Amino acid sequence: MSFLFGGAPKMSSEQKIAAAETEVEMITDMFNRLSESCSKKCIPNDYREGDLNKGESVCLDRCVGKFFEVNIKVSEKMQGVAGQQQGGAGLSL
Amino acid sequence: MDGLNAAEQRELANRMERKQMKEFMTMYSKLVQRCFDDCVNDFTTKSLISREEGCVMRCVDKFMKGSQRLNERFQEQNAAMMQSGQLPGR
Repeated sequence: MSFLFGGAPKMSSEQKIAAAETEVEMITDMFNRLSESCSKKCIPNDYREGDLNKGESVCLDRCVGKFFEVNIKVSEKMQGVAGQQQGGAGLSL
Repeated sequence: MDGLNAAEQRELANRMERKQMKEFMTMYSKLVQRCFDDCVNDFTTKSLISREEGCVMRCVDKFMKGSQRLNERFQEQNAAMMQSGQLPGR
């Protein structure tokens, strides 16, 4: 990731586009996984009405928040583990 | 997305467009599967009975709304995360 190295080093056009593409891919993938988990957890499978009711809406909102929190926790934990293994060398994402 | 010139941005937009089509098809087939699994369990008739059809319609309706809501929250969280310099996003 370019911000770690103080501005983009000399990357070719193709590399820059590919990097941007990967970034979008990562975000899309995360959204897809979140969407699958949260709708499974929050929307019961008897479809009594076509609208989201209050409970479902609130559940979805909180689900997104928690999904992000878990993301951060896991990433912190893994960076800690990687740091220990490499004698504090850390993990550059 | 910083540091791309106009031509590079066009190329990226092209690729994204193709990807979006694929994403849409995936989303669509997942929705079909979920609504089918949840609504259609009776195979004593050949075509959908009105209860099943109603269920499918509500199922699709609900998921579109749910997906939109998730997307809004996701954008907010993602923006907040990028500002605080955490994992995804740049």
